[in-house]
Amino acid sequence: MIKTEAYEKALFETIKRGATEISPDVKTAFEKAIEKETILDAKKGLLATLDSMEMSKERENPLCVDTGWPIFYFKVGNNCELEGGFMELENAARRAVAKATELGYLRATMKHPLTGYDPGNNIGMNIPDFTYQFVDGDFIEMSYAAKGGGSECFGGTRHRIVAFADGIKGIEKFVIDSFVASARAGAVCPPSVLGIGIGGTANVAANLAKEAACLRTVGSKHPDPMFAKIEEDLYKALNSLGIGILGAGGDTSVLAVNVEYAYTHIAGIACATSTNCMVARRASSRIDADGTIKKMVSPNWFGDR
Amino acid sequence: MAEYHLKGPLTDEDVTKLKIGDTVYISGECFTCRSRLQKYIFDENNVLPFDTENRNILIHNGPIVIKENGKWKLVSFMPTSSIRFEKWGAKSVSEWNLKMIVGKTTMGEETAKMMKDKKCVHVSPRSVSPNLWIDSIEVQDVFLYDELGRIEAAWFFKLNDLGPFIVDIDCEGNNYFDHLDKDIEHKKNEALNNLGIDDSFEFTKLY
Repeated sequence: MIKTEAYEKALFETIKRGATEISPDVKTAFEKAIEKETILDAKKGLLATLDSMEMSKERENPLCVDTGWPIFYFKVGNNCELEGGFMELENAARRAVAKATELGYLRATMKHPLTGYDPGNNIGMNIPDFTYQFVDGDFIEMSYAAKGGGSECFGGTRHRIVAFADGIKGIEKFVIDSFVASARAGAVCPPSVLGIGIGGTANVAANLAKEAACLRTVGSKHPDPMFAKIEEDLYKALNSLGIGILGAGGDTSVLAVNVEYAYTHIAGIACATSTNCMVARRASSRIDADGTIKKMVSPNWFGDR
Repeated sequence: MAEYHLKGPLTDEDVTKLKIGDTVYISGECFTCRSRLQKYIFDENNVLPFDTENRNILIHNGPIVIKENGKWKLVSFMPTSSIRFEKWGAKSVSEWNLKMIVGKTTMGEETAKMMKDKKCVHVSPRSVSPNLWIDSIEVQDVFLYDELGRIEAAWFFKLNDLGPFIVDIDCEGNNYFDHLDKDIEHKKNEALNNLGIDDSFEFTKLY
């Protein structure tokens, strides 16, 4: 049985790492973008962003002032036993978010949607958000993602039902039109990690898009060549537009395009997008049945991608 | 594209020389603002508890500030998107006599028109680099802390060559991003064509 103390400790460390350390795959994507950038001001902007992100680790401060919606993903072994059960896991996550806020790793950003009341600790109705996936085994893997306000509020998250008559062309047109509109003047903080969900009901597509944006390893490809081709075609198309860092002009508008899919109804294809901002914050940890905590370099949410 | 190092309080002369695409670094005194402050003043008819005459630079921002050894310490800073405050933009420029708004993205047409009338510019960051900025910012004071909360209170900052920012709305009412949009739209049509989606494509209407 995994003790409360162990998973609470891992939760806090994962939040702190997600908030203050750039993920290695995002860093690699930044380095590539800097190398190929031909617009001098954009190159300087990318360099300044990467420099600042590296300083955050040392200074133990947030990568960006907007520390986003706190979101947790748990990949749980079917035989995993937690002291206090899964309700206590969620309580521990809430305590860890509150502690991280108190210590300044997170900004007190979550507020009541109607009154504007700020609880000061990022805890409230349905926040943090929790998602579970069940697999064989007796371990638990946890990922913390911080979904930034810019990336979420300016149309980076959209949905449309595309008719089978329009197929892939309809999907690609929807994605390109949506991204251009949302990235105007840098609203969604490009270069983005663009997640796309295809199929399922609208909420399934939206969840897949968010997971593709927040949990796929940047630089990975979908194993199915049909979906890998959509990723590659859209990556090239979006990076040909000249949107650049914070929308002020540049060669890199997306760091990655990640597609995930579900089977859909004969009536139509739900299609959703979710952009993650350039800092693409997340961190993951694994706890084995004996309580051993390991830091993970990648969330492993979609297996090896 | 010229580069300017400006010091507040800003004069008409300081800002009218700026053109879209220019780079600016800012020194001097400014205050922060998010939607709760503008709502509190303009929608709920409260009075701004300080004078903006010698503090005519506004930064759209909700900083992370903590108290350490009895003194305010800035933990993180990044301008937030101005466009979401468009509702109060023109009023802020005219009633607060602003000469410069610092924010991510840009402002809309109504604010740009007021900026032209009152001689004010909007400038936007080109990176997300809080750690390269916080050492150039001194926290001086805070107003409406109890009323609006730690993030949305009006913080007084003293800036020391903070930048670089790009001028995206100048005093002639030009918008840098409008110009860029035309180019992006053209490239978008090319990209769609390359994917076999021609100009005549229309979505099958499902609703």
